[in-house]
Amino acid sequence: MACKAVIADDEPLLRAQLRSRLERLWPDLQVVHEMGTGRDVEQVLDAHAPDLFFLDIHMPGVNGLEAARRIGSRAHIVFVTAFDQYAVEAFERGAIDYVLKPFNEERLATTVSRVRERMGAAPQSLDSLVEQLAERLGGGGRPQEHLRWIKASVGPQVRLIPVEEVLFFQSDEKYTRVVTCDGEALIRKPIRELLDELDPARFWQIHRATIVNVDHIAGVRRGLKDQAELSVKGHSQTLTVSRAFTHLFKQM
Amino acid sequence: MDRLAYLLEGLTVRRVIAVTVICVAATAVTVGFFSNTFLDLLVSALCVGYTTMVLFTIAGNLRVTWPNSVARQMLAVVVGSFLGTILAGLVKGRGIGAMFTERLAGVSITMGLGIGFGCVAVAGYVLREKHARDEARLHRAEAERQQREKNILEAKLQLMQAQVEPHFLFNTLANVQHLVETDPPAASRMLDSLIKYLRAALPQMRESATTLGRELEMARAFLEIHRIRMGTRLDFSIEAPPHLLGVSFPPMMLLSLVENALKHGVDPCCECSSVAIRAVHTGGRLAVSVADTGEGIVPKKGGGIGLANIRERLKALHGHEARLLLEENNPRGVVASIEIPLADSAVEAPALVKAA
Repeated sequence: MACKAVIADDEPLLRAQLRSRLERLWPDLQVVHEMGTGRDVEQVLDAHAPDLFFLDIHMPGVNGLEAARRIGSRAHIVFVTAFDQYAVEAFERGAIDYVLKPFNEERLATTVSRVRERMGAAPQSLDSLVEQLAERLGGGGRPQEHLRWIKASVGPQVRLIPVEEVLFFQSDEKYTRVVTCDGEALIRKPIRELLDELDPARFWQIHRATIVNVDHIAGVRRGLKDQAELSVKGHSQTLTVSRAFTHLFKQM
Repeated sequence: MDRLAYLLEGLTVRRVIAVTVICVAATAVTVGFFSNTFLDLLVSALCVGYTTMVLFTIAGNLRVTWPNSVARQMLAVVVGSFLGTILAGLVKGRGIGAMFTERLAGVSITMGLGIGFGCVAVAGYVLREKHARDEARLHRAEAERQQREKNILEAKLQLMQAQVEPHFLFNTLANVQHLVETDPPAASRMLDSLIKYLRAALPQMRESATTLGRELEMARAFLEIHRIRMGTRLDFSIEAPPHLLGVSFPPMMLLSLVENALKHGVDPCCECSSVAIRAVHTGGRLAVSVADTGEGIVPKKGGGIGLANIRERLKALHGHEARLLLEENNPRGVVASIEIPLADSAVEAPALVKAA
């Protein structure tokens, strides 16, 4: 019986290339579908019931690893990757089939013969390996816990400010001032909400109305009535540290 | 009691010794003018000196905004001299009443001397403080300068170490491999673009000074490669008036912005996106912008490492006159622009270029 395969790669030329190579090396193989993202993998499984997936690891929307997780043990999987030391090591360790781009005829032939042997057995789920790889490869791309960008309106434009650039936030009646080296902008998000979303290791509240970026603190000196005055690198304004927060600056 | 301890902060052994020395010196200088013995005068001087010292210290530590600390300390000298003189009288067993009658002249002289020497001492102290503050400010400025230099060096180092991504290289070669079999002219075009890109992007081949024209060509080659690879998902345009192509422009910055647009904007987006590069020269500034219509910025997702490098290098080259600006594109995506100062005279007149 002919074996049914799906090729998933976001680069159309590379899909075509793999397809033509496979036609030569594995004439029985029937490529029933091509896709540029792993997003619709469930529908493809239902519609075509393929036995085998060639999954490029790097794809927009849903990448190859996530697609593999969704496929589970419903089909065999061969990973496709251009260059990824981690991935290749993991595949070798886990005895997973993979193909390297650019394709090498001999290597591809070896992989194909291995996969053909495996086709008789039931597909195994690659969950644990996929989990491991996703952690190593995908960590940088996933949304993180803390706010990394501030979106602030400046006239008709929406300015995007990386939080590292912010010297301090200060509430100003209805708005919150976002002060950077190059100037300042206003946002509507109140100090209280910002405090929940910013990285507490980098941003300290020093006053009911002020959050300061620790990286930009130039110095602290004692001020009036148990308060302290804080100066910021690259800005002339000094900030008041209210009594409730002066403990942050007590000597070690 | 502990709550008031701060009032005496700064009352160090050093200060006590300094006041003692001043008192001994003052006594030695003035002893010739009076009939008193040295010891008698010294007792008066020390009484005035120590009283003034304590009041002076307290006045400096008071946490009030008015009057300012120098005025408070001057007042402390006057009051201190007065109280110190009375204390001296008491120490010597004289009645308070007598001090304001038959001994008034002596008391006034002691007080006057106290105020005089006190003022000189305070002036000396204030000057030293100011000197110390200036020193500290200088020190801080120096530390900041060093930090800035370090940042610049790091930015330069990062630029030099920036590598051509193997992932990009192998994927591009895989495409060429396929095109060689199916569409040789297209394969040749793609190789041309790859060579153009590598010539500029390989650290060994990178030149430290480059022109906007060259940087735009490199960006074009890079985008061309990606357009072939991504098929219908990418479209791009480059718009720059010919007279700007010859102006100098810092290397690799434009490419970083294009890479960001592709990596964070176009790549995660499954639909077709475009990248538009534009260079304009207005009001003595050159602005080069890279606009994409991709996914846009996700507030909780990082990806500004290349941007920090660009900012650092811009600051090193042009100080506050240059900047990197990121804005939301309408209706989707991000516009990143680099603005650097560019004197009108630095640009060749458009007519000349046309004639050439």
